[in-house]
Amino acid sequence: MSEVEETIKRIQSHKGVSGIIIVNADGIPIRTTLDNSTTVQYSGLIHQLAAKAKSTVRDLDPQNDLTFLRIRSKKHEIMVAPDNEYLLIVIQNPNAV
Amino acid sequence: MFVDEVLDGVNFKSTWKKERYINDRETQTTALLVSDEAVQSYKTVDEAVQTDEEPKRKLRLAEDTSGQLANFLRRTEPYIIKQLTNNLRSRAFDGYDVDLEDDSTSVTSLHTLTYPSLQDKFQVTSLSWNSTGSVIGASYGQQEHEDWCTHRSVMCTWNLDRTGIVADKPDSKIEVDSCLMYIAFHPKNPAIVAGGSFNGEVLLWDLSREDDMLIATSGLGQDSHQEPVTKVYWITDAKGKKIYLVSASGDGKIIQWKIDRKAQKLLPKEGFMVMTQSLPRQMKVKGVRGDREIGVTCLSYHSEDRETFIVGSETGVIFKCSMYSQGPPAGSHIVSSIPLRSPVTFTYNPHHGPVYAVECSPFHRNAFVSASMDQCIRLYSLLQAQPVLTIEPGEGYVHSATWSPVKATVIAATTQSGNLLIYDLKQGKTVPVHNIPASSNKEPVYACQFNPQQTHLLATGDGKGRVQIFKLSSKLQQVSGKETEFLGNLVNVTAE
Repeated sequence: MSEVEETIKRIQSHKGVSGIIIVNADGIPIRTTLDNSTTVQYSGLIHQLAAKAKSTVRDLDPQNDLTFLRIRSKKHEIMVAPDNEYLLIVIQNPNAV
Repeated sequence: MFVDEVLDGVNFKSTWKKERYINDRETQTTALLVSDEAVQSYKTVDEAVQTDEEPKRKLRLAEDTSGQLANFLRRTEPYIIKQLTNNLRSRAFDGYDVDLEDDSTSVTSLHTLTYPSLQDKFQVTSLSWNSTGSVIGASYGQQEHEDWCTHRSVMCTWNLDRTGIVADKPDSKIEVDSCLMYIAFHPKNPAIVAGGSFNGEVLLWDLSREDDMLIATSGLGQDSHQEPVTKVYWITDAKGKKIYLVSASGDGKIIQWKIDRKAQKLLPKEGFMVMTQSLPRQMKVKGVRGDREIGVTCLSYHSEDRETFIVGSETGVIFKCSMYSQGPPAGSHIVSSIPLRSPVTFTYNPHHGPVYAVECSPFHRNAFVSASMDQCIRLYSLLQAQPVLTIEPGEGYVHSATWSPVKATVIAATTQSGNLLIYDLKQGKTVPVHNIPASSNKEPVYACQFNPQQTHLLATGDGKGRVQIFKLSSKLQQVSGKETEFLGNLVNVTAE
């Protein structure tokens, strides 16, 4: 098993984590632990949102940059770690007992 | 001197008779003119419009070309892990409720459903929602009998999703020869409903059938119940595939049924008998044999562990039972084609009157609630005999108590004084958050059911045969996620 798979497995085994998706710079998923339709939806929408968030931060202050994006919803917390090349999306249910 | 003489006749002209003349005359109407005209509307044209089916977006995982993925993950993993851990510990969002929809705080009555032919003589003995949550079924019967039950009772259903629902005209009704004591819809098939009658018969109907809706019955006899059926219950096995029917009765028997559709029969598959030897010591009466039966009034299966169930009895004692228990067999005076044994594995601190309802929490494995004639609602932990919480509403007998299917700390109960009480254990344990009159003229309210699918609905049934449908406030449906934990603490802390 490659290092990448191992890392994904490590994160996935964390309490409450329901899915992990890695998306490339074009918004196309590279790795996923979710089913097809969910992956397509998440990667498309979150990629757009992350790009928007990034440009907002940059527009406010050109020296600044987006480092992390969290979305709290009734059911989940979606965490997005952006990078030049990739986007790591982790979906967690913080209420899981 | 005599001469023949011929005299000419004399003619007189009549003075009144006139001679008739006949003249020929001709007359003719003009010929009818008939002409045909045809009229037709213009040609019609049919057009069909359909939306395109959305093309299924295929998932294609892109190849990682740069080879930097491992690097990226190495960089981000520690941070993500840290956030994940923090998230679980975080209390930042506790008590933070955003209500984007309507923030109704009141519980309102939507419908009052009746079946006028019963003329207020029958009570609603039980209610059940079907598996889709759109149909409410009510069974009617009389609680008090002085003699054989000769009533003709009925089961009615109303579909609430229908437009133009008529409150006094049920969508379907099934007549039964004896008072119907309990009904329960199948958990998967919305048309199948099981019922138990006063004379001990267990019946199964299919509402989708046109003529004879009865598809199976246990009949009357030694293999069936000898006392009124108090509860019928559908249980799903651990894998969620097979579904069984279980019934409990005042004769102490708990029977699991096998459905034989061809013969239209319910055949007993497994049976249990709750007996006096399971009673706590202080309740045993000297000189009474230990194999005498105890009437079962209610039962509830554990939400996770399908072998465990809780039984409430006429004596007020609550028993924890197991499907695999190897308890002592039933006394020899009981005739039955299947072996009956005692299912009891543990006895809880008894109520001071018959138990009307027990129900296991759908959220916490150790919590269950009970309601009794002794005017108490009790919260028990499966693991200890003493109740962890006792609520005394002071409204007379508590006829039912049930858990909310969405919010772990919410309990609804109905009382003899005709009120529906809704408790949220998180907001003041012993004071109801809602206390609503659920019947007219303070009739006792016997039945209460949350809708497991359309979770904003709750139904109650009263002593005059009226079924009321309530819409719950959004507060009672909002889940913050900490309720289960709260309930868990409540059940565990007091156990120490």
